[in-house]
Amino acid sequence: MKIRSMEELLQRCEERGKSIGEVMLEFEVNKSDRNREEVLGRMKERLVKMKEAVDHGTVDRSAAPSDISGGDACRLGQYRKESRPLSGDFIADAMRLAFATSEHNARMGVIVATPTAGSAGVLPGCLFSLHDNAGYSFEKLVMGLMTASAVGYIVANRSFVSGAAGGCQAEVGSAVSMAAAAIVELRGGTPVQAVHAAAISLKSMLGLVCDPVAGLVEVPCIKRNAIGTAIAFSSADIAMAGVESRIPCDEVIDAMYDIGKNMPRTLRETALGGLAVTPTGQNVKDRLFNNREQQTCSSGSSNRREVET
Amino acid sequence: MAFESCFDIIGPIMVGPSSSHTAGVVSIGKFAHDYMGGPPEKVEIVFYDSFAETYRGHGTDQAIVGGLLGMGADDTRIRYALEEAHRRKVKIRFRLEESCPFYDHPNTVLVWAERGGEIFTVGGVSLGGGLSRIFMLDGSTVDLLYGTVDAWSLRNNRRKPLNPAPARS
Repeated sequence: MKIRSMEELLQRCEERGKSIGEVMLEFEVNKSDRNREEVLGRMKERLVKMKEAVDHGTVDRSAAPSDISGGDACRLGQYRKESRPLSGDFIADAMRLAFATSEHNARMGVIVATPTAGSAGVLPGCLFSLHDNAGYSFEKLVMGLMTASAVGYIVANRSFVSGAAGGCQAEVGSAVSMAAAAIVELRGGTPVQAVHAAAISLKSMLGLVCDPVAGLVEVPCIKRNAIGTAIAFSSADIAMAGVESRIPCDEVIDAMYDIGKNMPRTLRETALGGLAVTPTGQNVKDRLFNNREQQTCSSGSSNRREVET
Repeated sequence: MAFESCFDIIGPIMVGPSSSHTAGVVSIGKFAHDYMGGPPEKVEIVFYDSFAETYRGHGTDQAIVGGLLGMGADDTRIRYALEEAHRRKVKIRFRLEESCPFYDHPNTVLVWAERGGEIFTVGGVSLGGGLSRIFMLDGSTVDLLYGTVDAWSLRNNRRKPLNPAPARS
């Protein structure tokens, strides 16, 4: 038994009269021979780890070892206390908590990949913002994770979820579409609306390249996680207003795959293009790796390098 | 359908910064460690493509070595794995190449390891989200899907967990 498309997922929801989260839970129970409580318990364990990462990140002002990130979650926290953010409570907190998680990730702290570590800020940002601003219980958030995992499962198997394979659209893009669907279901929207939210959010991420400065999951990754939460919330609002994606979600995912396949290697997490090769980006790389570069000696081919440790 | 479970998407629980360049690589190294029955005495590691370009920023070198020393993806000692290997007198050599002749994927690694007078070769690819595939073992082509240590069970041989849940009425 497999779920290959959003269409199939929606069909299942309709047949059983259940939400996407419930259908995914049922799917996991059947597949794993574990009971409902065990699966939910395991998911809750992950939610708790996410919360730990968020809690670390919101109070830690320290910089990452690279010195190119860190402290921004605290800056947003301060701003949030002192003024009324233009983007509203839900998005302002989601951005702050996404910063917290992604900064913690950059410090090599323990996080939960959702679906990857590079995109690990988006879901906790959205979910714990709902928790803080609207009192959603951890039990509800666990069901939100089930919804999100259903979307991620289909995207990952139809297309890709890593920046190296398909660019940032695949990595933060899939996280944003997962979060958008989860927000819709948590807010009481229908499975159809959740899938439209996923499609609408993914469409706005299409084409985004993966160009990390010095190859670090920091610049621009951390801010893309934060802004990703805003796209997830706006897409959820658009879908719950009854707006539909003109292009069905499965076709959007296929388009993402097509774009990713056509993306040059320099823009797929090789740090050889985009922001990574701006003068500032190059400076960071030189500063960080200058010492270690001396250990590198070139062999016969220019593409081959050897490093002894 | 490489991704089979909701926990392949929500998870693994891991040390940062990258699921494909850190966590997935730890599990390839850990696979090699378990396959050899312990850490190697000497190892040559070849990073291809995206790994070759960005391994330092992602700690991919720490990740593969941490795995080879038996660490799991959520082990906070991973960031010191190279030091630990040095302390244990494991000889390590890295080689960086543009593309892997054996497997077409940007996140590919080959490990030649020596332990107890035997040579082991393991080819692995990190698929993203912490999931990896072993495609080569001692020169033979294989296809083993491998999650991180916090997966329900090792999926390569589809074995059931050792302590199955009690039967439900």
